Amino acid sequence: MIKGVIKLGYIGKSVIRKDAFEKVTGEAKYTNDYQEMGTLHAKMMISPLAHANIVSMDFSEAWKIPGVKAILGNEPYPLVGEEIKDRSPIAYKRVRYHGEPVAVVVAETPMIAKRGVDAIKVSYEPLPVVNSPRDGLQKDAPLIHENLESYEKQEGVYPNPNTNIANLNKIRKGNIEKGFMESDVVAEFSVSFHPSDHAAMETRGTIAEIRPDGTIIFTASTQAPFAIKKIMKWYFGIEPGKVIVNTPFVGGAYGGKASVQLEIIAYLASKAVGGKPVKLVNTREEDIITSSVHIGLDATVKLGATKDGMLKFAEIQFLFDGGAYSDKAVDISRAGAVDCTGPYQIDNIWCNSFCIYTNHPYAGAYRGYSHSEVLFAFERTMDVLAEKLSMDPLELRYKNAIRPGNTTPTQVLLNSSKVGNLHQCIKRLKVLMNWDEGQIIAMDDRKIRAKGACCVWKTSTFDTDASSGVILTFNSDGSINLMSGVVEIGTGTKTVLAQILAERMKMDINNIHVKMLVDTQTTPEHWKTVGSRGTFMAGRAVLKAADDAIRQLKDRAACILRVPVKDLEVGYGKVYFVDSPQINVDIKDLAYGYKFPNGHTIGGQIIASGTYTLTRLTYLDPETGKGNPGPEWTVAAQGIEVELDTRDYTYKILKAYSVIDIGKVVNEKAALGQVMGAMSMGIAFGGREEFVFDEFGRVLNPQLRTYRPLRYGEHPEYIIDFVETPHLAAPYGARGVGEHGLLGMPAALGNCLSAALGVQLNHLPLIPEQIWRMSGGGKNAAV
Amino acid sequence: MLPFNFEYYKPQTIQDAFRQFYSFRKENKKTIYISGGTELITLGRLNQVYTDAVIDLKRIQEYSSTFFHKDYLVIGGGATLTTIEEVNAFPLLSKTVKEIADRTARNKITIAGNICGQIFYREAILPLLITECLLGIAGAEGIFHLPLQDIFNKEIQLREGEFIFSILIENKYIKLPYVSIKRRKQWDIGYPLVTVAAIKNNDEIRMAFSGVSPFPFRSEEMEKVLNDRALSLEDRVEKSLLSLPGPVLNDVEGSSGYRLFVLKNTMMDAIEELEGERNVK
Repeated sequence: MIKGVIKLGYIGKSVIRKDAFEKVTGEAKYTNDYQEMGTLHAKMMISPLAHANIVSMDFSEAWKIPGVKAILGNEPYPLVGEEIKDRSPIAYKRVRYHGEPVAVVVAETPMIAKRGVDAIKVSYEPLPVVNSPRDGLQKDAPLIHENLESYEKQEGVYPNPNTNIANLNKIRKGNIEKGFMESDVVAEFSVSFHPSDHAAMETRGTIAEIRPDGTIIFTASTQAPFAIKKIMKWYFGIEPGKVIVNTPFVGGAYGGKASVQLEIIAYLASKAVGGKPVKLVNTREEDIITSSVHIGLDATVKLGATKDGMLKFAEIQFLFDGGAYSDKAVDISRAGAVDCTGPYQIDNIWCNSFCIYTNHPYAGAYRGYSHSEVLFAFERTMDVLAEKLSMDPLELRYKNAIRPGNTTPTQVLLNSSKVGNLHQCIKRLKVLMNWDEGQIIAMDDRKIRAKGACCVWKTSTFDTDASSGVILTFNSDGSINLMSGVVEIGTGTKTVLAQILAERMKMDINNIHVKMLVDTQTTPEHWKTVGSRGTFMAGRAVLKAADDAIRQLKDRAACILRVPVKDLEVGYGKVYFVDSPQINVDIKDLAYGYKFPNGHTIGGQIIASGTYTLTRLTYLDPETGKGNPGPEWTVAAQGIEVELDTRDYTYKILKAYSVIDIGKVVNEKAALGQVMGAMSMGIAFGGREEFVFDEFGRVLNPQLRTYRPLRYGEHPEYIIDFVETPHLAAPYGARGVGEHGLLGMPAALGNCLSAALGVQLNHLPLIPEQIWRMSGGGKNAAV
Repeated sequence: MLPFNFEYYKPQTIQDAFRQFYSFRKENKKTIYISGGTELITLGRLNQVYTDAVIDLKRIQEYSSTFFHKDYLVIGGGATLTTIEEVNAFPLLSKTVKEIADRTARNKITIAGNICGQIFYREAILPLLITECLLGIAGAEGIFHLPLQDIFNKEIQLREGEFIFSILIENKYIKLPYVSIKRRKQWDIGYPLVTVAAIKNNDEIRMAFSGVSPFPFRSEEMEKVLNDRALSLEDRVEKSLLSLPGPVLNDVEGSSGYRLFVLKNTMMDAIEELEGERNVK
C-alpha cells in the first residue's frame, strides 16, 4: 500500500461529535442567539381558558405604548393545519385550548411587546369543554369544530363531520371472529394518560422577514425547514422558491419542532410591519402549552390466545387526544394504527384508531410518534394475558415474537432485512436482567425488588416520496465539505454522516467539514429530521455522493496518470493505480482542477451530489390499512427493575434495560447516548410527566416548577446492549435507533409495578398517589 | 425578562437600607428588599410580583456570614442555602435546606428570602420553629432580637421597612437528635407533599411541617399528643392529626387524602427514628 498510511476505518468507532467543541464551550449558536439590527419582537397573548367565545378585544391601551408597531388578532386569517385546515394561526372569535394565541404584539423590544400584551383587554364567554377523548365521543359532547365538513384537507384523512372525530384509521387483518373462536383465554384491558410536554432545553422560536422582492426568510428552530417551504405554499400560495429557511443548531426537538406554528405567526407579524424581521420565541410556559404537545391516549386492547400462549387475535381501539386542532395528530393516530400491536405474529387484527378533538393543547409529534403510547396499552395487556395464562410474561412474548416470514398489522411480509431479531433481544434481556431469579424479590418486611419487561418495535411512516440529498464540495487541501439537510437536533447524525463518508472515501475524518447550519436555498433537502431516519436516508445519499466524487476523481486522474479508470482506486488522500500504488496523484492536486507545470489546467472544483428516496412505500388502504408504510422495523426488548416500598408506594428505579437490534453500530457512544437519552424520557413519561387539567380543561402545571422532567441525579443505572441484524438497504446495515430506547419504558415500568403489587395499573404517570389509589388507598379516608 | 423597570439600590449598611426604603416609600414607590432575588426574577416575569424599587441587601456587612457567638449559632439572613448546606453548622438545617429547589437555585436563594418569600412552603423555617430561635431584625433603631414564635403566625410578620438580618439558634439545640424528611409527588425534585423536621429534646419530640397547608407550622396541641407515651405510636400520630391547624392542601402535587396518608407515614417514620425503634433514611 501507500507508504506511511495508517489503517483507517470509522464504522463502529466512537468518533467525537463534530459539534462537540462548540457545544461544550457554550459557543454553539441557536435561533435565539441570532440578533440582527432592526429586528422587531413579537409577543403572544394566550388564552387563559380552554373553550370560550371571544366577545370583545380592545387594543386601544396597547396602542398607546410607545414602541408598539403592530397588533395582530381579531381578524380572520387563512386557516392552517398540516392534515386538516382547522386552525386560525391566531384565534378568531373563539378559543379552543388553554394557551391558544389570541393576539400578537410586535414592538421594538421584547419588553415593550410584553407590556403591549399586558395592556390588551379581552372578554370571553366560557363554553363547556371536552376534557378527554372519551368525553369527546359522548352524544351530548360540545362540538369543537362545527365546520369540520367545510375544512380543506389532505388525501387519506377521514374526519367525521358533526362529531369530534378528526380522523379514523382502520386495520383489518385476517378474521377477528375466527381468532376469537381459536382462543382459549381472552384478556381485555384499558389504559389512559393525559397529554404532556417535550420539555426541550431550547424553547421553540423563529425569526421571519419578507424581503423587498417578496422572498420570505425564516431562521427557525425546527426539525422541518424544508416542510415549511411546502406548507407556505399550501397555506398562503407562496411558491417554494420564494421561501428560505435557515436552521442553526436545535437545542432538543423530540418531535415538538416538527410542527409548524410560530413560523406562521412570525410571518404574519412581519407582514404587518412591512416585512421587517420579527422574532418570536416561546417563553417556557408557552412552549409547554401554546405550541404542540405530546399526545394523550385512551385505549382498549383485547387479546386472545390458546392455552399454550399462542396469540390468536387482537381487537384494539385507540382514542388519541389530538387536542383542539388536528395538525400532526391525524398522522400520529395513523402511525399508531400501523404498529397497533406489539412486535408479534398475530393473524387476526382489528383496530380502530381515532383522533379526537378535545379542548386540550394540540398534539404534535413526540419521540416515538405514537409508539410508546400504543405499546403502553398493548404491552400492559400482554402482561394481563400472561397472568391469566399463568405464564411467564417474557416466555409469552418469546413464543409470539415477530420473525421473518410473518406479516405486520398492515400485512407487510417481513424478511430478516425488514425486521430485526427479536428472539435474540429477548434472550439477551433475560440474561442481563437475571430474569430467572424471579420477578419479585422481598428485601425486608416493607421493601421489594421487582422487575418488568416488554417488547417494542417501530417503523417510520414517512411520505412515500420522502427524500434526502447530500452535496460534497472539495477544498484545495483535498478536504471535503459535507452538506446535508439533516438538522442537528442533538442526535449527532451529521457526525455519523462524516463517518460514513470517511469510510467510503478511505480518508481522515478530520478532513471532512460538516456544515451544521441548514439553509434551504443551498442545502439539499432532507424531508424532515424526524423518525430515526437521518442515518439511513442521508447516509444513503452520502454514499451516492461519495461514489459520484470518486468517479469524478478517477476520471480526472485517469487522464493525468494515463491509467484506465477501472484500474484506479481512491483512498488515503490519493488516487492511485491499484497495480502500482506508487503511481498516484494527491486528491488536493485534483480537487480544484489539475495544473500542469506549464500552467495548463484541467477541470475545476469537484462538486459531487447524491440523493436517496424511500423505496416502494405505499398509501394505506382506507378500509383494511393494508400497505407498506416504512422501510424496516427496529425491534427491542426492554426492562425495568425497581425497589418498591409496599407501605407507601414510593419506588426508586434501580436499573433500566434495553436490548435493541440496531442493525449495525456505526458510532457506539453516539448510539448509547441516543438510547440512554430516550430511555430517560420514557421513564419521565411513564413515571412523572403529565399535564394536570382542572375540570375546565385548563393546564394547572404549565411551568417547570410543577412540570418536572427527569433531572440529573434521578437516573437509574442504564444497561444497554445491541444485537446486529443488518437492514440491507441501509448504510452498513444500520437501523433507526433515535427513538426506540423510549418506547418500552412506560410499559416496562407499568408491568414491573403491577407485578410487584398484584394490581393491574392502567394510568400514566405511575406516581405513588396513583398506585396508592389503584391499590385501594383513599377509599376509607379517616380524618 | 421582567416586563417592568425598577430602581435598584445596593446599600452598605442597615441604616442606609432603611433610609432608602423610606425614601422610596415617601415617593409612593412599591419597594421590596431582595437578597437572592430568585422570586423577583421568576415571579416577576409572570406578573406575580411587581415593584417600583428594589433594595438589594447582599452587600451589607455580616448579612451573609455564619458564626458562633457565645451560646448561639448566628446565621446571616443573606447566607445562601448552598452555604448553609456546606458549612453544615446545624445539621438539621443543612439537611432541610438541601432539599429545597435545585442546586443552581440554592446557590442564590438565601435563608431569609426562603422564610419570608411568597412561595408558601418556606421549608427553611421548620428547624427554626422547633429550636425556638431568635430573629435579629433590622429596623429603624438598628438590630433588635425577638423570639421567632412571637412574630410567626403562618408567616413572619415584620413591620414595614424591617428585614431579617440574622438568625440565632441556641447551641444546645444543634447537637440534638434530629430528623428531616421530605416526601414529594415523585422522586427527588419538586415541592413537598410533606416536609417534616423534628428534634428530640430530652424525651420530648418537637415537630414542624411544610406542604400540609399553604403555610409552614408547628403545633403545640399536636406535640402534646405526639409525646403522650401512653398511646401506641399509631394512635399518637392519628390523634395528633385531629389538631391540624387548617384544611390539608389539595392541588397538583397531591390530593388532600393522599397528603394525609403521606403525612401519617412520614410522622411515624420521624418518631421511630428519633425514638430509636427503627432506622429510616
